[in-house]
Amino acid sequence: MSALFLLFLLFLFMLIGVPVAVSLGLSSITTILMFGNQSLTSLAQKFFHTMQVYPLLAIPFFILAGTFLTTGGVARRMIDFANAIVGHFRGGLALAALLASAFFAAVSGSAPATVVAVGSVMMVGMIRSGYSKEFSAGLICNAGTLGILIPPSIVMVVYGAITETSIGKLFMAGVVPGVLLTAMMMITIGVIANKQDLPRQPRADFAKVWSTFREAGWGLLLIIIIMGGIYAGIFTPTEAAAVAAVYAFFIAVYVYRDIGLKSVPKVLIDASRTTVMLMFVIANAFMFAFVLTTLQIPHAATEYITGLGLPVWAFLLVLNFLLLAAGNFMEPTSVVLILTPIVFPIAMQLGIDPIHLGVLMVVNMQIGLVTPPVGLNLFVTAGVANMSLEDTIKAALPWLAVLLFALMLITYIPSISLALPNALGL
Amino acid sequence: MRNIINQFEEILLSGLLAFMTVLTFIQVVLRYIFNTGWVWSLEATTYSFGALVLIGMAYGVRTRSHIAVDMFTRRLSPKLNRAVILFVVAVCLVYCALMFYGATTLVNRLYVLGNNARDIPAPKWLLTIFMPLGFLLLSGRFVEAGLKAYRGDLGALVPTEEERLHTDTKMNEDNAGDLAK
Repeated sequence: MSALFLLFLLFLFMLIGVPVAVSLGLSSITTILMFGNQSLTSLAQKFFHTMQVYPLLAIPFFILAGTFLTTGGVARRMIDFANAIVGHFRGGLALAALLASAFFAAVSGSAPATVVAVGSVMMVGMIRSGYSKEFSAGLICNAGTLGILIPPSIVMVVYGAITETSIGKLFMAGVVPGVLLTAMMMITIGVIANKQDLPRQPRADFAKVWSTFREAGWGLLLIIIIMGGIYAGIFTPTEAAAVAAVYAFFIAVYVYRDIGLKSVPKVLIDASRTTVMLMFVIANAFMFAFVLTTLQIPHAATEYITGLGLPVWAFLLVLNFLLLAAGNFMEPTSVVLILTPIVFPIAMQLGIDPIHLGVLMVVNMQIGLVTPPVGLNLFVTAGVANMSLEDTIKAALPWLAVLLFALMLITYIPSISLALPNALGL
Repeated sequence: MRNIINQFEEILLSGLLAFMTVLTFIQVVLRYIFNTGWVWSLEATTYSFGALVLIGMAYGVRTRSHIAVDMFTRRLSPKLNRAVILFVVAVCLVYCALMFYGATTLVNRLYVLGNNARDIPAPKWLLTIFMPLGFLLLSGRFVEAGLKAYRGDLGALVPTEEERLHTDTKMNEDNAGDLAK
């Protein structure tokens, strides 16, 4: 009863356009006042305490690092490097667009910014070289989503903080699925390129590869510092994020010189705004999760689901549908925040690995970015490619099939996610 | 006057973020190179984080950066849409009032207990006071947004689709020419 009331209120608020954070907060408060015996004081305490959850401190730092590196200059360097290494294959420009998107998305942390920065440059080039507009737009739209899977990933930080699983391990677990997805999309490009006889770029000599690598390498080193530092035990993910932010500042201002010192305050305020927007939702979601547990809703849900005698594979299938549906309407962090407290205990009861579940959720969120009606990447691509939304959706569909196939692989072969962190002994 | 407040808000928020980042970075350096550290560092960082988010909530309303699902309300007629937005603002104000009440009682309880923070030589209630303050500021900004909506600005609370794309994809362009090529 209380569960239904809580969820009904939450969806009602969200439906009429109450900000997601306020919807989560107010539905929690109302429910606890009506059904629980907790006071407003303890809810306020829960809210305030969210900013003292150590793993969540990584969020402002990763956002700051990404904001410093979200420049056209970084995008150009990634494109040049990607072109130098894969341009000479058949369909080379498309392969380069994919690789450059993966690089840029990983360091900037923003899927829509990737579509704009890499997409706007690469689409013009591809169309000029004889690629169809649909092919180019579909590729750019989907390639931009790779960033939330390739570490550092803010969605993973959020998942790790709610479930108290190791963020370092989650990051490592994202590596192989990220590479797998990129590889599958590359194979798709290869097949299409051979069929349509798409052009190659002239092969870049070693000197060119080296010089472009030296430019792009400074940005890519960010990922190595984070992953290497966490793996070697030099720092926690939160410290890694702070180091990344300071490193990104030096690279952007002194090495790349994309950003002048006078623009640094603007970067700081942009990053603060994004941080606040996310944290406002997260703090309210922590109250929401607190209300769920005090009313023992996850417990009841777990008993109900296990009582159905659902086999694990069926549960995973249902879970994927649920996540995909939710990902269609809300942005990734909100979905993870709302669904994790309910789904996690059930999954644990069924013996699903928490790290595997995390990767699964992130891949689902990635797909949500390119499915209508709210898929943000679709809107951005439509703008960049100057296409109608309907045409963009059609163009993205074949790639969506690739993503869904990869999702099935990642769902039913847990070792794709778990082999690397286990092998590293994390 | 209003401009001064707005500017102060931005300086405070970016200052807090810079402070947190540099402090955490120094902590890593101190530990690995000099094998030492400041005990108060972590607590100073987390309380700054709290202040950043709590004061920033209001700034988020002013800059229209809070996320909401507007796919249904957007399709309403302007008149109906405006009514819905005003109702939404009322809902937000109820939320602010309840949270403000909870935050005040929290601060009051900490005041009565009179404990200091673990590592910072300051009483806990003083460090928590940003919470009622934050919700007070937030309600002020919601009222402001409500007035704007009443006068017909339908994007007063939640940005329109175009505005949001603009903020989501905005890039740091000292070198804006690069993309135009």
